[in-house]
Amino acid sequence: MISAARKANLLSQIEGLNQIPTIPVVLAPLLRYLQQPIEHLDVQTVTDLISQDKALAAQCLQMANSPLFGRWQKIDSLRGAVVGLGFQRVGDIAMSCSLLSILPKGRAGIDPVIFWEHSLGCALVCRHFARKISWPDPGKAYLAGLLHDLGTIVNLWMLPQDFAEAFNLARQQCIPLHEAEQSVLGFTHCDTGSLLAKRWELSADLSEAVSRHHALDESAEHAGLVALVEISDLLCRMTGLNHGFLESRQVSIFEQKGFAVLSKQCESLATVDWARLTFELDSYMDEVRSLVRAIYRK
Amino acid sequence: MSSIAAQASLSVSGPPDPDLVRIRDLVYQVAGIFHPDTKLRLLLDRCSRRMKERKTATLREYFECLTVRPERQAELVALLNEITIGETCFFRNVSQLDALRQLVIPTILEAKAKLPLRRLRIWSAGCSTGEEPYTLSILALEESSRQLKDWTVEILATDLNERSLAHAKNAVYGSYSTRHLTEYHRQKYFAPVADQLQVQPPVRTLVSFSRLNLSDDSRMLFMKGLDIIFCCNVLIYFDLASKRRVIQHFYNNLLPHGYLFLGHSESLYGVSEEFRLVHLPGATAYMKGERSQPGKKAI
Repeated sequence: MISAARKANLLSQIEGLNQIPTIPVVLAPLLRYLQQPIEHLDVQTVTDLISQDKALAAQCLQMANSPLFGRWQKIDSLRGAVVGLGFQRVGDIAMSCSLLSILPKGRAGIDPVIFWEHSLGCALVCRHFARKISWPDPGKAYLAGLLHDLGTIVNLWMLPQDFAEAFNLARQQCIPLHEAEQSVLGFTHCDTGSLLAKRWELSADLSEAVSRHHALDESAEHAGLVALVEISDLLCRMTGLNHGFLESRQVSIFEQKGFAVLSKQCESLATVDWARLTFELDSYMDEVRSLVRAIYRK
Repeated sequence: MSSIAAQASLSVSGPPDPDLVRIRDLVYQVAGIFHPDTKLRLLLDRCSRRMKERKTATLREYFECLTVRPERQAELVALLNEITIGETCFFRNVSQLDALRQLVIPTILEAKAKLPLRRLRIWSAGCSTGEEPYTLSILALEESSRQLKDWTVEILATDLNERSLAHAKNAVYGSYSTRHLTEYHRQKYFAPVADQLQVQPPVRTLVSFSRLNLSDDSRMLFMKGLDIIFCCNVLIYFDLASKRRVIQHFYNNLLPHGYLFLGHSESLYGVSEEFRLVHLPGATAYMKGERSQPGKKAI
């Protein structure tokens, strides 16, 4: 356990967040534009906005051609992606690519790709699960899943050595990452993620998903979305979309706080076919891995 | 002490290596699989693959891996995986399949006749390289114009071994796996690929594969709503406590009218008293039954 002074020092360093790159400049206007009612949206404007960042545009195109985003025909232009996939999917893709672009490469011997795999996997699982339980906004669920571990990016940038120690402890003892962080750093990626969420001015519900997904008790206003992320994150960690290792603790998803919260909000949770759901999620695994590797290793 | 080079020259007719014999006895003790002297070459081949993987030089050292070292349980499972690979085939247990088609499925369909969801869900637990679930799929397709007309059949197939699952998803099989196929099934459900046979899409569509460790309680909780479970020659690798836990999950996950099929020489004697043993012509199965209606008619 680190001393209180060291913890305070680390947190104040992180609060500066000077070393963390900002999200690509095109993203904020793009996401703002996409928040308008759909009838006000124009294909060319969206295409032009993304095209300003050539690297982002190329990654978006690559991702748009993955079956994960529901397109089986080849898309060979950004405009084709916007027309074929729709505004929301393209927004999701742009956000996903942006997150990838701010991952530090090869810090402290940890392969950051596994975090992006887990984040993208969790985003897809959140969206899929949200649809299964008739959650009103599967698009928001996707973003919440994508961003939930934002704090690991902060940790990778700001505390590469300490974070590597926490990560190795988690991997060796097969325990959840946030527990290892708590033990080594004295705080978790929820705490650091919360700082970045504030800096990025994320909406209140997304910020809560980032900062409370391992502490649902402290969640209030957006407990439903946080619960959705908690359950989806756990599903990912129980399967191949984990952090590169399987946790040894046996838990029942049906006994999680998130499950109880969602049960109150979504009647259709009771009718979820869990066997089918886990088999469906399994099919994401290979796609996520190959997509992430194709984009990141280029 | 026998090196790998020396083992390569092991003669089938020569005296068996004492360390190989000790491994043979261990495998028999744990899994009930016995290699007579004439089949020791096969066991040696399987051991050699594992020894190469583990960079173990001698059979004596490898025997220690299987018995003394901390990783012994995992290594034993790995060796048993090697031993059992290739031991499965399409239509492996015909009398079991006949009993399924003629007696078990009709009973289940009758029990579910009044339910709104006309779905039959079968789980091949420990599906290895996929021959069993594809056989069940062929059986379902054959029955799709008869008793399974208007029913949806779902076959969930799981295994711990990723290599086996990759093979299963690829669905291409050699002559050993396909040796029991009738000409009718071969023509109707398979297509030649070089000198092998590939399972055709209609058969594959009914089957979904996933990696699952039967000892993973968290994941086992998800396998709900099952009508039939096939778990053949898998539990032989488990100790009694683990076996009991897996069987309890099977019991909880089966629907009230559900059936469990084990391998030809396996039984739940001393493992579970909750299932009811059902004697079928040429096969046995275990029925979950309905606790609230103990007198309800079984087969």
